[in-house]
Amino acid sequence: MNVESLSTTGVPAVPPPDSDAADVQRVLAGDVQAFEGIVRRWQGPLVNMAWRYCRDRSRAEEMAQEAFLRAWRGLSQWRQEASFSTWLFALAANVFRSELKRFPTVNVPIEDISEPSASATQHDDFATKTNNETLRRAVLALPQRYREPLVLFYFHEMDVGAAARTMGLPEGTLKARLSRARALLKKRFPKLSRPCAISEIIPARTGKEVQG
Amino acid sequence: MSQPTQDDQIKHAIESDPIDRILASEEPILPSSGFLASVMERVQGESRAPAPIPFPWKRAVPGILLATGTFGWGAYEFIREAIPSLRGLETTQPQLTTALPVPIEHAAWIAFALAISLLSWKLSRRLSGQS
Repeated sequence: MNVESLSTTGVPAVPPPDSDAADVQRVLAGDVQAFEGIVRRWQGPLVNMAWRYCRDRSRAEEMAQEAFLRAWRGLSQWRQEASFSTWLFALAANVFRSELKRFPTVNVPIEDISEPSASATQHDDFATKTNNETLRRAVLALPQRYREPLVLFYFHEMDVGAAARTMGLPEGTLKARLSRARALLKKRFPKLSRPCAISEIIPARTGKEVQG
Repeated sequence: MSQPTQDDQIKHAIESDPIDRILASEEPILPSSGFLASVMERVQGESRAPAPIPFPWKRAVPGILLATGTFGWGAYEFIREAIPSLRGLETTQPQLTTALPVPIEHAAWIAFALAISLLSWKLSRRLSGQS
């Protein structure tokens, strides 16, 4: 996720360039309160990232909180060779992965998810929102190997490099898994493979908050 | 006519692929109002907590060395005794007259093993501060 996109998650759009590094230095020097700046800047992205992993609002906040706590404990391990966000997202992905391994989200197999009905039109806002949510939840029903690349790819606004860095995978591997994940979704939702189906399924963005 | 840029290509891909369009257009959620405070509360709690007690290596090293030495020596003795016995298993017949001093030797070994056990027990109690 780039800096500009942070504005969509309720944090300052362009934080001062060295603010993370400065806060980290202060924390390592013993100023615990300086960590608040880091949490303030990154709470939006981390909660949103966790939300995409589990689609449960309260659990997303719990997982994001755990990620911040791990970041706090391991702050001295950030070498500053990579950007702070790269380090933080990679750490958070590890936390979310292990949390979901310990307590998996309750998901139905992808084969059991019914394809959204084609009756939804642009005027049928509720139906289109429901249909879209069905597809988003279907992502969680994918095998873990394909689910996470897909989740991170869209979280990072379709930036393959950023998603690969977060997962610690080569870009080629990520692209291959992404391609397989999309193939699985298209197989399950054949109507979505047809460009003409866009008007049936895609709504105009409503700008309303997602319900947890 | 100019070549389409990478951004244009991505935009085109999004517009032409409904899956991309749906998954990329998700509205962000906002953290709850108490999120920052609860994270900082946990961080403050961790920072106030006393540092974990380090393992008492200085006190434990003699015991570890003694235990390692004893087990190593025991294993060596066991193998040294076992190999000739296994070799002679098929050929040697037990002779009662020569076997008589063996129980006394065994008793000495048992007494030695008990002494080592007692020593280990005393050492472990001392390490745990119960002596």
